[in-house]
Amino acid sequence: MKEVLAYPANYWQTMYEIWLIISVVIYLVVFLPAAYFLVKYRYRKGINEKAQHVEESKALEVLWTIIPTIVVIYLATQSFAFYRVQRNAPEGALEIKVTAFMWGWEFEYPNGKKVFSFFNSVVDPEKNVYLTTDKVNDMFKAYIPEGRPIKVLCTSRDVIHSFYVHPAKVTEDCVPGRITHLWFQINKPGDYWVFCREYCGTQHSKMAAVLKVVPKEEFENWLQQGVQANQENSKHNL
Amino acid sequence: MAAVSYKPYFSAGLKEWIFTTDHKKIGIMYGVTSLIFFLIAGLSALAIRLELYQPGLQHMSEDTYNQALTVHGVVMQFWWAVGIWSSFGNYLLPLMIGARDVAFPRLNALSYWFFFAASVLALLTLLPGNHIKMMWTGYPPFSLNDNAGPTAFYALIVHMLGASSLASAINLVVTNLTMRAPGITLKKMNLFLHSFLAMNVIQILGVPALAGAVTMLLMDKYFQTAFFDPTRGGDPLLYQNLFWFYSHPVVYVMILPAFGLISEMIAVFSRREIFGKTSMIIAIWGIALLGFMVWIHHMFTSGVPDWIRILFSYTTVLIGVPTGIKIFNWVFTLYKGSVRFKTPMLYTLSAIFMFLIGGLTGIPLGLPAFDIAVHDSHFVVAHFHYVLGMSLTLAAFGGFHYWYPKYTGRMYSELWAKIGLLLIMIGSNLFYFLQFIVGLEGMPRRYADYPPIDSWIWLHELQTIGSMILGFGIIVAVLNLLLSTKLGKKAEDNPWSSPSLEWLVPSPPPPHNFDKIPHMPEDWDPYNYEWLEKQHRKH
Ligand code: HEM
Ligand SMILES: [Cu+2]
Ligand SMILES: [Cu+2]
Repeated sequence: MKEVLAYPANYWQTMYEIWLIISVVIYLVVFLPAAYFLVKYRYRKGINEKAQHVEESKALEVLWTIIPTIVVIYLATQSFAFYRVQRNAPEGALEIKVTAFMWGWEFEYPNGKKVFSFFNSVVDPEKNVYLTTDKVNDMFKAYIPEGRPIKVLCTSRDVIHSFYVHPAKVTEDCVPGRITHLWFQINKPGDYWVFCREYCGTQHSKMAAVLKVVPKEEFENWLQQGVQANQENSKHNL
Repeated sequence: MAAVSYKPYFSAGLKEWIFTTDHKKIGIMYGVTSLIFFLIAGLSALAIRLELYQPGLQHMSEDTYNQALTVHGVVMQFWWAVGIWSSFGNYLLPLMIGARDVAFPRLNALSYWFFFAASVLALLTLLPGNHIKMMWTGYPPFSLNDNAGPTAFYALIVHMLGASSLASAINLVVTNLTMRAPGITLKKMNLFLHSFLAMNVIQILGVPALAGAVTMLLMDKYFQTAFFDPTRGGDPLLYQNLFWFYSHPVVYVMILPAFGLISEMIAVFSRREIFGKTSMIIAIWGIALLGFMVWIHHMFTSGVPDWIRILFSYTTVLIGVPTGIKIFNWVFTLYKGSVRFKTPMLYTLSAIFMFLIGGLTGIPLGLPAFDIAVHDSHFVVAHFHYVLGMSLTLAAFGGFHYWYPKYTGRMYSELWAKIGLLLIMIGSNLFYFLQFIVGLEGMPRRYADYPPIDSWIWLHELQTIGSMILGFGIIVAVLNLLLSTKLGKKAEDNPWSSPSLEWLVPSPPPPHNFDKIPHMPEDWDPYNYEWLEKQHRKH
């Protein structure tokens, strides 16, 4: 498999390309004849003043019922096949519990280490504008090991939010009283956005977090350090 | 037709307008209310676009943005996309079936005044302290939270509108089924009437689900019940199920009438009967029926079990089939026609080809493998703007122009109408097409602000420019319609030479529509243009 930035975004990408090609073809199949008819059968004095009689055509009607049916069923089935992979985390994925709240995210790692990211951790406090990912304080970043599947178990403390991993192209709502799941894997170190994708009030548009993807050893080191420390740091924000 | 000349229906004093039960006056009242609210919602959208021009908050706070977007969504959906059809339906339906009024004229007036009451409530939410910020979907538990603003306003507005729609729907269904003049058989009903029938049936079946949902919301917020509150054993997804059980079908309440208008206009300006009329009728009812079996596609990421998502993905994409049939039939209606490019026809063709984009981008939203990345992104917003913001709006504006001589007895300026349409098409395509792209790049919807990602910034800048051109085009189109009521040339009774019944009475029609209830002859058909010529030759 060719090197992809993130899984399961590659499945989305393929689905997207299939759909795009089919759509462009359908658009042309409808538009070109229409354009031709519009020109050919435009009203012209003395030449085309009256419409001609046209018999209904059963054959055409059947054709444009059957072919679209086959196309959409194919698309839904292709989506079904991809969706199984997009939804079901591979064996051995690292489980992270995410709890959403108004307005921020709590990440809990298997050893109990927690990271909090608040709406004001991603903005410049003076100007209330978004920082770029590299300017966000590392303390608020959720570290993610490079090239390892991550399974997120999500819930919410108050209203419905949605956990959207920007590079992996997956989103799933975090619903109070339920635990939902999604998975992703990022193959290149760097900082990536997570956004809240379900409207949740005033700071909805700042309810973002940064995933810091690092090599596996660096991740292990980070995981063992100061399990409780940054919770203290974050308290004043609550 | 009429030998005696009457005063037109609209020359009446203020008191007569307020207490009227005349379907035409009520139709006009609906239309004016809808259009005013359309302009309000349009202005709030332009404010939103201005804010999104650059990252950071330049012109408003987050709360103001959220309020403006709630107003935009609620008003565009309920006052414009649903409300405007009450105007067309009330005004035209009795005329098209040869009736003097609807079945229950006083109930009809009541429907309008419920709509008016909802309008007043909506305006009250603009006062400080009443701001609602729960978006048009009003999902709990958020809508139970004080951050969302007074939930009661939202619930009562929905109730008022629901009462209005239900009464109006029952009224128009009964009118259609029982009051058609002799000779207008079910088979000879035009597609406008078929679409409105299906649309009203959907309303009758669907509104109660939404009314139930918002009632439960109201009780949860103010009477300590716990239908949707998970901390006390409720389930927020119950609301989503009830809400979308109505609110998906409601998109067909919005678009089926638009299809009806498109069919009328494309037939008249091609001088041909709609190709495959029977299959068009089957498609309308197919859409109406399937429309009730797809609502989960709005909940593909909401935590419902995966197998349900897959099941509903099949039903969802299948709606593409009857919809496709309609488009193919429209295209073949042009075949061997004698096509005239008058303003309403240009609006119609634009509506069809914009709908095609809206429809083709709706299909992937029904595929969970695709939706997983774009759910609640600007891709979705662009999809429904192509369908509602463009196709529906173009069809409605096409209808304004098409029936303009009927409503006012005058003609609009053809030149300004075309300029308006051109601006609208340029502006909206620039705006909405880039909205797709920024959505594919991941931009979440309902975001007052966004991070400075390079591609997002220029995409948003161009979108805002597009939306301003669009707004300008709408102003040109609306001004032309307004000013032409005074400046327009006197129109003929039947300027488009249509045999459809509404065109066989004078323009504007007299208060009672028909001197005698017409008996339509065997060889008459709303799309039989030869028949009309034969009549002319006889005289
Ligand atoms: C001047 C024309 C218009 C402009 C500039 C405009 C702009 C926008 C924008 C930018 C959004 C998304 C904002 C966000 O998610 O942060 C939006 C949402 C929306 N628009 Fe429009 N729009 C226009 C016309 C229409 C029309 C004609 C309709 C319907 C008939 C419509 C229906 C909606 C709906 C239902 C939403 C979703 C609101 C929500 O998320 O709750 N819009 N509009
Ligand atoms: Cu949120
Ligand atoms: Cu839907």
